[in-house]
Amino acid sequence: MKKIDARGLECPQPVLKTKSTLQEDKPENIKVLIDNSASQQNVQRFLESQGYQTASGLEGTCYFVIGSYDFAPAAPLLPAKDRSTDAEKILVMCTSDRIGYGDDMLGLKLMINFLRTLKEMGDELWRLVFVNNGVKLTIQGSEVLEDLKAYETAGLNILVCGTCLDHFNLLKKKQTGQTTNMLDIVTAMQLADKVITI
Amino acid sequence: MAFPSDDNVIIGLNRADDAGVYQISEDLALIQTVDFFTPIVDDPYWFGQIAAANALSDVYAMGGTPKTAMNIVAFPAGEMDLAILRQIIQGGIDKLKEAGVVLIGGHSIKDKQIKYGLSVTGIIHPDRVLSKKNLRPGDRLVLTKPLGTGVINTAIKAAIAPEQLAQKVTFLMAALNREAARIMAGFDISACTDVTGSGLLGHLAEMVDGSGASLKIESGRVPVIAQALEFASMGLIPMGAYKNKEFHEKRIAITKTVPRNLQDLLFDPQTSGGLLISVRADQTTGLLAALKAAGIEDAAQIGEIIDLKEEKIWVV
Repeated sequence: MKKIDARGLECPQPVLKTKSTLQEDKPENIKVLIDNSASQQNVQRFLESQGYQTASGLEGTCYFVIGSYDFAPAAPLLPAKDRSTDAEKILVMCTSDRIGYGDDMLGLKLMINFLRTLKEMGDELWRLVFVNNGVKLTIQGSEVLEDLKAYETAGLNILVCGTCLDHFNLLKKKQTGQTTNMLDIVTAMQLADKVITI
Repeated sequence: MAFPSDDNVIIGLNRADDAGVYQISEDLALIQTVDFFTPIVDDPYWFGQIAAANALSDVYAMGGTPKTAMNIVAFPAGEMDLAILRQIIQGGIDKLKEAGVVLIGGHSIKDKQIKYGLSVTGIIHPDRVLSKKNLRPGDRLVLTKPLGTGVINTAIKAAIAPEQLAQKVTFLMAALNREAARIMAGFDISACTDVTGSGLLGHLAEMVDGSGASLKIESGRVPVIAQALEFASMGLIPMGAYKNKEFHEKRIAITKTVPRNLQDLLFDPQTSGGLLISVRADQTTGLLAALKAAGIEDAAQIGEIIDLKEEKIWVV
């Protein structure tokens, strides 16, 4: 087991020390020693964000976090939403604002039609995720904005990639959905029964 | 401890608020506040601006108009170039100028660690003082700046925040709450405070304490800096966020479906954060529209005051 002694270091140094160790060589098992509970929780969050399954505890006055990489993926951070039915959970991810290649005008029309028709999935439509060019469907002026807002009002969880919005400088123009990050998207995919990528 | 008081004290230490308020005539009261801290950004000029915006904010949160300010300076004179201090003070002066406030004095001492801040004096009509402890059931809560500056500043310390983001957050912290305060004066507001070191939930806990009401916060509506969510997932969370959580969690109930990184941001200590306003329900849309029209685009309704009388905060 790889051991890191980060006692005596202030936030965010214990996380950075763990991070640089992982960059050199990703150990299967790792144990990090820290001297306070805040650093312990931070190191634990960091290891989990890197795909480790973790446990933490206290030995005397020394806090520790252990992580193992060979286990199954870490427990989901985002518990499934309470649902009244046993409906299958379908996650639809839109990676562009149009469908397919060839004629862009046609592609856009198809996408609009696709998003409007999605409601036919009924209760099984669980999450709608927008990444890359797809985030442009959630901003002011989008032809499907009203449709998306209606979905959201009806209780559909819409996730919009924050990094993508920022990249296109659209963070302030987003009109619907919840700004999110890759971890939430990955966790949602893990929880979904079916993932459809457009 | 017994604090000295007299009949003219409208708000003093006995019911600590964002600032002290002292009545000097039938239609005039003084607002006084002081705040200083160690550098939170590398650029001395921007540190000065942020420190001034932060000190002024307490007067705005009381509903008042700041008028004069005094510098408070600690600087390692002799060891560090005085040009750095000049830039800090210039930043403060420029921010005061923007706010229409005059610098009329100050005091400096020699110290190993740089510290800068200001004591600010403002005025207000005694009947228009906005305490943070006057929540009115049925009101909606509005927040005017996004959360996440504590986490982003930790990521900057860790040297993993992109330059563009660091700049964005610097501008956000240096932004005055003046416009937001001017706009809210035209609406029926029952309580107001500014979000700083205690984090959103910490400040809400102070508001709800002794109010006889409860708060319902819709976490999905709380404005946050998108990248702060990612950094929180990576464990780049300042110590203060954990302390805020530990100190206030007894009166806070958070639904399990709220993602952990978002929960972290709700406790994240803010530097020069936004105003937290309790507005009459039927005026919420109007207030938000006016704030957005003035360029305060992150402003959002984040919850409401409910009549449960448990003095609890429910986060869904």
